[in-house]
Amino acid sequence: MYKKFLQLTKNLTVSLEKGVNFLTTHEHNPLYFHGALPLYTFWFLIFSGIMLWMYYIPTLERAWSSVNYITSLPVFLKDAAGHLVLDKNGAPIVDAVNSATGIPYGAVVRGIHRWGAAAMMITTLLHMFRVYFTDRHRSWRWLPWISGVFLLLFVLFVGITGYLLVWDARAYRMVVETQDWLRAMPLIGNWSAEFLVGGTGINDYTLTRFFFFHIGGATLLFVLVWVHFIRLHDPVVTPSRATNFLTLGFILVAAGALPAINITEQLIQQFPSLASDRAYIGSDSPAQIGVLVETMRYDAWYLFPYYLINKAGVGGAWAILGASTLLLMVAPFYPKDRRDNLAAVIEAKCTGCTFCSLDCPFEAITMQERAPGSKFKLIAVVQEARCSECGVCVGACPFQAIELPNTHSKTIEAEVLDLLKTGA
Amino acid sequence: MSEANVNTGEKKPRVIIGFVCERSIPITEMIDAQKALVDDPETKIVILPCSGMVKPTQMELALTKGADATFVCGCAIGDCHYRTGNIMIRERLEGERNPKLRKATDKRRVGMFFYTMKDRRTFLDALAQFKAAVSDIQ
Repeated sequence: MYKKFLQLTKNLTVSLEKGVNFLTTHEHNPLYFHGALPLYTFWFLIFSGIMLWMYYIPTLERAWSSVNYITSLPVFLKDAAGHLVLDKNGAPIVDAVNSATGIPYGAVVRGIHRWGAAAMMITTLLHMFRVYFTDRHRSWRWLPWISGVFLLLFVLFVGITGYLLVWDARAYRMVVETQDWLRAMPLIGNWSAEFLVGGTGINDYTLTRFFFFHIGGATLLFVLVWVHFIRLHDPVVTPSRATNFLTLGFILVAAGALPAINITEQLIQQFPSLASDRAYIGSDSPAQIGVLVETMRYDAWYLFPYYLINKAGVGGAWAILGASTLLLMVAPFYPKDRRDNLAAVIEAKCTGCTFCSLDCPFEAITMQERAPGSKFKLIAVVQEARCSECGVCVGACPFQAIELPNTHSKTIEAEVLDLLKTGA
Repeated sequence: MSEANVNTGEKKPRVIIGFVCERSIPITEMIDAQKALVDDPETKIVILPCSGMVKPTQMELALTKGADATFVCGCAIGDCHYRTGNIMIRERLEGERNPKLRKATDKRRVGMFFYTMKDRRTFLDALAQFKAAVSDIQ
């Protein structure tokens, strides 16, 4: 039943990809680069993050204003009637007194960071669902899948801590709700809640800690990516050029059209639509400790845990998030496949040429030293738990020294000769 | 080599041996009990777990023992179930990866196709083009 479901999802995925091929051609179909896209978008986050880091000040007093300095839009002078004051050329005049000067294109750089983060979560989910729907997550692939689940959780963690760094009213409410959520854990609940903020309450070290969580978490993503790749030979890390430009275009256009800004009362007066809850791309006014905002702008990609906390309660959020993570963790172990065709090395024929080891798609073959005095120095050894039974090693071996027992080369050659006889 | 130009020659090759990945085109639905393609009985099929398992020597064996042409069909490039099997065989047949085809092998009689399970018709069309090109070889 479950296998039939996976077969159905594979059929649908292949059909979808075939449809996309008509639009993009096969070589540039983004769906064939689903694994490389999250890593590609991560580079945008690193470079835009470094630029933001140069001006960001992680203290309670200055975090919001430093972000606002980076990203503030110009405030224009208005007359008593509320109309824009224009210069002799008809252009609005910037209010030099009340307007933060800002960093040139700072809002766009922050927008790249913000939209790049959305792109990373979208492409990560695309990668996960594509792998799952094509049944490429089970059995010998358990390590890439499990490390992928941790990568997903860390991307979420880094994204959420990014929202905290702005230290606006939403960030304060998120901290309070996160602490409530953590306190619901038995035994370590209170300790975790205090660890989050670095003390019994929010203090001068809190934002430094969030800053470390954000940068440290992003750095740890590289370690997890290494684990993710450790059993993959030659992983695809670069999308096609057209896919690169498509992603770059999406992020730049989004960042230019909807830059990430702090939505102040002054800005709302200038642009009333910014008061809407739908303007989730923006941040709120500065956080005031002890003052919880009534409504919260939810970003679907990163702030859904807070939506769950508000809709299902702390216990409900734990149950939903915990059950989802558990399901993802057990997914590669069910259903189990019959594994009776694992590659086997014929020791007498193996010359230690390394071809099979170099070609194995899952790093399942290691080369080990033979006993002293042997004719050849090395011998191929199959790590059975990693073997996919694909036979690529068989195709790589010029000496017929590695075989799949149920699909032996001699059997294939006999079949070829047999077919030639019947075809004559 | 590879998917050859369209050729209008009427002479058809006698027998073609195809090494086909079981996860690429829906091959089990396309062959009869004698392992010949239902749509093209001159083409006989050997089914393998992955196109990367094909040894160039096996294709050479088919040619030296009487096949007019031989080909391999794997998953679409970028979509190999085992990640790189289709790229491996493509590079081996193009002489970029060991083991390669022997220099003496007539590479015009060696084809390669890379299609998904939804590309049955496209594969048959490409195979017809390949056969037409092979039939024109003196």
